[in-house]
Amino acid sequence: MSLLQVQDVSVRFGGIVALDGLSFDIEDGQICGLIGPIGAGKTTMFNVVSRIYQPTSGQVMFRGQNLIDAPAHGIARLGIARTFQNLALFPTMSLLENVMVGAHSQGKVGFARAVLRIGASKENNATREFAGELLHQLGLGPLMFRPAMGLPFGTLKRLEIARALAARPTFLLMDEPASGLTHGEVDELGDTIVAIRDQFDLTVLLVEHHMSMVMGISDKVVAMEFGRKIAEGTPAQVQADERVIAAYLGTTE
Amino acid sequence: MKSLVTIKEGSIGHWVLRLLAAAIVVAIMLWIPTKGSNGLVTSATEALTLMSAAMALNLILGYTGQISIGHSAFYGTGAYVTGILVSKYEWSPWLTFPVAFLFAFVVGVLVSFPASRIKGVYLALVTLALALVFPNLLRWPKLESLTGGGPGIPNGDSALDTTGFNIGRRDGQMRNFEIFGWDPFGDLRGQGAIPFYYWIAAGIAVIVYLVIRGVVKSRAGRSLIAVRDNETAAAVMGVNLVATKAFAFGISAGLCALPGSVTAIRLGAVSPDIATLTILGSLTFLIIMVIGGAGSLWGPIIGAALYVFVTDRTGGWADDEAIPGVLRPFFGWSKIPPGSGIFAVILIVLMFVAPRGLVGVWKQYSPRVVRVVPRPAGVAHDAKPALVADTTTNSTPEGESE
Ligand SMILES: Nc1ncnc2c1ncn2[C@@H]1O[C@H](COP(=O)(O)OP(=O)(O)O)[C@@H](O)[C@H]1O
Ligand SMILES: [Mg+2]
Repeated sequence: MSLLQVQDVSVRFGGIVALDGLSFDIEDGQICGLIGPIGAGKTTMFNVVSRIYQPTSGQVMFRGQNLIDAPAHGIARLGIARTFQNLALFPTMSLLENVMVGAHSQGKVGFARAVLRIGASKENNATREFAGELLHQLGLGPLMFRPAMGLPFGTLKRLEIARALAARPTFLLMDEPASGLTHGEVDELGDTIVAIRDQFDLTVLLVEHHMSMVMGISDKVVAMEFGRKIAEGTPAQVQADERVIAAYLGTTE
Repeated sequence: MKSLVTIKEGSIGHWVLRLLAAAIVVAIMLWIPTKGSNGLVTSATEALTLMSAAMALNLILGYTGQISIGHSAFYGTGAYVTGILVSKYEWSPWLTFPVAFLFAFVVGVLVSFPASRIKGVYLALVTLALALVFPNLLRWPKLESLTGGGPGIPNGDSALDTTGFNIGRRDGQMRNFEIFGWDPFGDLRGQGAIPFYYWIAAGIAVIVYLVIRGVVKSRAGRSLIAVRDNETAAAVMGVNLVATKAFAFGISAGLCALPGSVTAIRLGAVSPDIATLTILGSLTFLIIMVIGGAGSLWGPIIGAALYVFVTDRTGGWADDEAIPGVLRPFFGWSKIPPGSGIFAVILIVLMFVAPRGLVGVWKQYSPRVVRVVPRPAGVAHDAKPALVADTTTNSTPEGESE
């Protein structure tokens, strides 16, 4: 059975149909590229999986469980983590603390134990080490005590990846991780994503406009336009698809 | 930014520094009730009570980002729980503290449910309503048998009586607490017990501080700051927004009730007219917290000390003759003590030059003298970072002291 099954999902905002009966599957261990022009509904799809948006109809099955039945804060515990297209960091916190919050779903110390100091500092130290390790791996080690506020966009995009990994996910959704990067950095990020997938045993859903990178690293690509799926298959199949070509010729990439 | 001294977190130098700071705090706290005048001890008690309330408010406003102008109601809840239990049911005042905490905790949690659906100015208005309704609730005739209505519970025979503490008595005789000629508690009766009330207020302030410190330095505390900084991201990280706000509100309200209980014990009476039980109390807690530094552990402590210092110093300034020479032209116009006016000016100025309060100023400039370099987290591999082909960051390692 597929890891994730998006089944006939529709999302409406008043008159706007952001997703219109979208369906596709992702297999365990795959990197799945999700492409489409701006406004196609890619971010909306992420927000449905994160339970930030309530779909008008349809369901999203993850390991056989309907995500729509879970609350937003329950998603991380199921092993699903994400990054945000326009950054959703904690600006006053240091990079280290940002990543430590990323590990929230892995922790146990609540208010009572924090007040009574039962196992709080032990958990704190372990989380701190783990978060520091992730920051080093993503090349952010030297910046870990800086507040997130005011750092360059590309750096913060990488911080989002570190924070998502802190949840020890099995499924990672990345929303335009390469935006704001130079060409050289984009290729490098592609390698990073593959390395992350291998090291952490992840399944990845990747939204990206840099075609060479998506096509280079994806096992499978889903193309969307106007909230609908217009093509699905290997990178080569999708690139050759007429509707995909038409969709992209119609927009300035 | 260069600093004169850098100290590694957790090193011997860092511990010496921390012990020194702790020793200074303990010395001041001991000095006040032993060597200070009665006036100073009373002022310090006032400051300790206000700082406890401001610390409690800081948890929900400074750390969690949920505005509350209703904390005077939680403070008043503590005062009345203690007042009623001691005067009507003859409880020992000690036992009323946990009850006051729990009662206000429940009220706080109940307030949090509508509060977790509304934000910003709407939440301010709802909590404002709470502050305005509370004194009227106390005057409500149907509750009069409990609250004493308009006059409240007066100071008198059946009223709040610190002899209920019983710790000073044995077989009808006063027990002697003198240590080497130093009597830390006073004689535990009436006006003589001023140092005793001071110690109760100090004990509560320490408890409130330790509870809040425990929370904010843990996973739970990080989730509060996460909610303040970005609710959506916090939820995606697995933070249950409703439950987190409920706990934060509950703990904040419960802690705010404790200094309320202290006030009831100290005054030996409670009434709806006590200023800190009205909206004025909420505003005082708020101003103290903001001036000291919202979202910092020491902000409310510094803020309360400064607030009481200023209001005390200017307490007699309604009379022009009492104003020191140079300042007379500035404050001669005021026919009431200008303390709150002075504080308002401080607040306005600070909002422009230091929006993060006095502690914010300290955090900005103290690293020029002493910088505490945080303990490194995780192992820095000397080779290239595993997941980055080529490190493009050319920044130098730099630590921020907390
Ligand atoms: N919260 C929202 N309210 C109203 N319309 C929205 C909202 N979120 C997305 N949309 C609309 O849904 C459509 C899809 O948006 P989005 O998912 O962000 O596209 P993409 O990520 O593919 O660029 C757009 O027309 C957008 O304007
Ligand atoms: Mg998008």
